[in-house]
Amino acid sequence: MKDISRSVPKEDHEEKVSGRALYVSDIQMADMHYAKTVRADRPHARIRNIRLPELPEGYVVVDHHDIPGANHVNMIFEDWPVFADSVVRHVGEPIMLVCGKDKQIIQSICDEIVIEYEDLEPVFDLQESVVHKSFQKGDAAAAFARADQVVERVYETGYQEQAYIEPQGFVGYLEGEKKVTLIGSIQCPYYVKNAVIKTLACDPEDVRVIQAAVGGAFGGKEEFPSLIGCQLAVAVHKLKKPIKIIYEREEDMIVTTKRHPSKTTMQAALDSAGRVLAIKAHVALDAGAYIGLSGVVLSRAMLAVTSAYTIDHLDVKGDVYLTHTVPNGAFRGFGAPQMIFAIDMFMHHLAKHLGKDPYQFRKAHQAKQGDRTATSGIFRDPILMDAMVEKATSMSDYHRKQKDYASPDVYRGIGMSWFLHGCGFTGSGESDHIKAKVRLRKSDTDHVYVLVAAVDMGQGAKTTLKKVVVETLGVPYNQVTFDDPDTDAVPDSGPTVASRTAMIVGGLLAQAAQTLKETWKRGETQVVEKTYRQPEFVIWDEKTLRGDAYPAYSWGVNIVEVSVSPVTYEVKVEKIWSVYDVGKALDERIVLGQADGGIAQGVAYGYLEVMRHHGGHIQHKNMTDYIIPTAVDMAPTETVIFDNPYALGPYGAKGVGELSLVGGAPAVAMAIEQAIGRPIQKIPATPEMIMELMRDETH
Amino acid sequence: MVRHVIPSSYREALVHLRDGSFHIVAGGTDIMLKYRNAADLPPRFERDVLYVLNLDELKYIHVEEGVWRIGALTAYETLLDHPEIPDVFKSAWIDIGGPGLRHVATLAGNIANASPAADGIMPLYLYDAQVVLESCAGSRTLPIDAVITGPKQTAIGPQEMIREIIVPKHDFDVATWVKVGTRKADAISKVSFCGAIKVESGVIKDLRLTLGSVAPTVIRARDLEATVKGITLTALEARLDALLDAYAARIRPIDDQRSTKHYRQQVARNLIEDFLKQQIRKG
Ligand SMILES: Cc1cc2nc3c(=O)[nH]c(=O)nc-3n(C[C@H](O)[C@H](O)[C@H](O)COP(=O)(O)OP(=O)(O)OC[C@H]3O[C@@H](n4cnc5c(N)ncnc54)[C@H](O)[C@@H]3O)c2cc1C
Repeated sequence: MKDISRSVPKEDHEEKVSGRALYVSDIQMADMHYAKTVRADRPHARIRNIRLPELPEGYVVVDHHDIPGANHVNMIFEDWPVFADSVVRHVGEPIMLVCGKDKQIIQSICDEIVIEYEDLEPVFDLQESVVHKSFQKGDAAAAFARADQVVERVYETGYQEQAYIEPQGFVGYLEGEKKVTLIGSIQCPYYVKNAVIKTLACDPEDVRVIQAAVGGAFGGKEEFPSLIGCQLAVAVHKLKKPIKIIYEREEDMIVTTKRHPSKTTMQAALDSAGRVLAIKAHVALDAGAYIGLSGVVLSRAMLAVTSAYTIDHLDVKGDVYLTHTVPNGAFRGFGAPQMIFAIDMFMHHLAKHLGKDPYQFRKAHQAKQGDRTATSGIFRDPILMDAMVEKATSMSDYHRKQKDYASPDVYRGIGMSWFLHGCGFTGSGESDHIKAKVRLRKSDTDHVYVLVAAVDMGQGAKTTLKKVVVETLGVPYNQVTFDDPDTDAVPDSGPTVASRTAMIVGGLLAQAAQTLKETWKRGETQVVEKTYRQPEFVIWDEKTLRGDAYPAYSWGVNIVEVSVSPVTYEVKVEKIWSVYDVGKALDERIVLGQADGGIAQGVAYGYLEVMRHHGGHIQHKNMTDYIIPTAVDMAPTETVIFDNPYALGPYGAKGVGELSLVGGAPAVAMAIEQAIGRPIQKIPATPEMIMELMRDETH
Repeated sequence: MVRHVIPSSYREALVHLRDGSFHIVAGGTDIMLKYRNAADLPPRFERDVLYVLNLDELKYIHVEEGVWRIGALTAYETLLDHPEIPDVFKSAWIDIGGPGLRHVATLAGNIANASPAADGIMPLYLYDAQVVLESCAGSRTLPIDAVITGPKQTAIGPQEMIREIIVPKHDFDVATWVKVGTRKADAISKVSFCGAIKVESGVIKDLRLTLGSVAPTVIRARDLEATVKGITLTALEARLDALLDAYAARIRPIDDQRSTKHYRQQVARNLIEDFLKQQIRKG
């Protein structure tokens, strides 16, 4: 049998390299109109009055008064307004759209609008908890009571911006009298559709959402586009013209969701032999002005509390806080990067505190097949971490370097992270909320269409999902078509998020293809559908957060080597080694692409990417000031993929997309820690912070 | 409506400058950003626009007795390809933007833009470069530090343009450039540094230090440099701390979104110290 991992040309390669792919900004329509958003310029205020200039013919403003349905974006928490009504709660909060034909005139109208505010006291500290969660494993209280000693450390992480190349954008138009069609740069066509239905208070068939070519997303186009989609749908109904809206780069960086800043307090109860008996953890997330998806991000952070280690007794708590800042949301890793930074640094710091070799200390706590997970579920599948760690340490010469770099005057360091990532939605999310459905349609010419809502945003979903179908059917590639999803044509196979697409959607497509193959009737139209069913072994209680949080886990090891300049305190990443267990690579080159991109983003989160706000105003709002690594900053990488097929994944595949990001920050932070001989508890570890640490100036 | 003028000769450009009020666009990599509009809309220029990038007359590198003369519109990449331009210039210029940008952006634009964080001009201060300004009324030659008078401020008159840059030759033993931009390409300097030294039999004949991004304009403290000329490297070692303190008093960095005052102050000091200690060690 042919090995599925053997790479094929990417499905979207030709259209993207040739420039034929149509991004939102490339879409032309007769009589195209444009929209621009008028936004709040302060963090917290009551709108007293809005003075509009005289609007020329053909120009309209659209605000909350125009919404026929609910003035909130349909998400898990329904607190996020489509347009602000009387109070604004963050800088950049949308108040209205100005729409018309000429962009310069729209701009002039926006410039002339005067909004009178009464300022209200803004809150920027984590004071107001709006979501609280907790879970227990074993008996942490008893373990703490009998502990030989208790060690506490606090870990902090900053914002991270998705920095997709293509800013947010949509084109919207009416089909007939009342059906609105939206073409957008989105990850989740059905999220947009369902949100628009609520805002318009219309029937499902009156909203159609089509995915345009997507120039990167990283979670930034998971829930946020629903907001724009709702606004634009309202505008399209009012103006009855096609309207295009595309964010400016600065606008995008100021107003779109980012990775939640976090503060995690870790306490360990240690026995006299220096083993961790129990951990108490509290993670605090800054949601910004609205909760949105933050409660779910919090869950994923909490569930990752022990990452790739097994600790028998846990007391885990978390809170989401509202502040008068830009709402935070989905970003590759979804809470896990914050927690994995905290736990991996903590294990390292505990070992140092105890005077033990961190490597041996971590080994002694490493999770094994059959162990209880943090939420008292079971690690059912084989865990290959012993072999993976062995591979990573030998290819990087980790142990020798660890010794050589211990002396203070070499300013070099090597750091290693171990981690896992739960694949798919948490707990029963897939079966209770998503209920993914896929469809294969065969025409009477025996051509097969893959009908799913999965979006290719560059990560390769089109290639791998089509490959699963092609290989299962045993037909040539040109006999199968996978068009960008259109909600009028595809069933809801769920959002393109949470490292679920290859495993869940791909798994269903493999089943559908198998059925089609078995029932194949030449020259006849056939349709096969499959709907997700929770594996029977997965038992999960959403209230107590107890049971199997995920059906499967991907695993990883990252090793990062750095040098730090004692003159400028700048970090140079010298090399990065990674070993991953993703079940089975559906396409080796695509997995390696995810590996390189993910680790670049993960490592940069740890030392390079700085974003802060000042009084609620984002300070790093363009690509000059928000520093992501360029090709010359990126260190060489060496990546090894282990096969460990997962019985329920297509060809054994598990999740890939987020795994390669989550371990980057602790690995680079540990490397910097060694190079400068000072502990790191906060990321990004900027040159400014490294200076203060090296000069013992921290307060 | 602003007028957009593309002159066909340098002379014609000067006549336009005499008769009108223009923004000069060379590579356009600063000015197009300064006047940028929302995407898809033309820039918001305040005056008529004179596009000079096509004037091949001002694209040259002349190597002459004791000096190089660089035509104002010579792009960085052309300069980088020239075999005789000293490495310290090339190392500074290769740190500007990315390759695409360096094929259009010019040194004259870097001078006239007068940014406190400009990199291209740093070695010009080190070498005491001169700038030739010309108008229909004639030309005048000013030292670089007399052309740039403050942040975004220059001595270039409204009818003048930069014709060329004259760089005197020097035979320094060492001339170095350090850019602290936190990432390796497409970064705005937080601090930048040039150092050059000439030593004969242990005695310092010439020492020059320039610092960028730590004050409204590039810092070159000729008076401090004079205090170490003629002394030995051993004597310099003894005076090092005092010299570093004197430099620290000269720099006035700011806090901004890219870095802190404290960091810039400390790193500027470290860069000078590191450079001088290396020279002292070499003996
Ligand atoms: C992505 C990016 C990265 C960058 N990176 C760097 C960097 O790393 N370091 C750095 O120092 N700069 C950087 N810059 C800024 C810019 O590229 C440089 O300052 C460049 O040297 C400007 O040259 P130009 O020819 O494009 O100037 P222009 O934009 O054409 O002009 C700049 C100013 O100079 C005036 N001017 C131009 N030519 C003349 C002349 N002959 N006589 C009189 N006035 C004139 C113009 O009227 C204008 O006011 C970057 C810019 C961008 C967009």
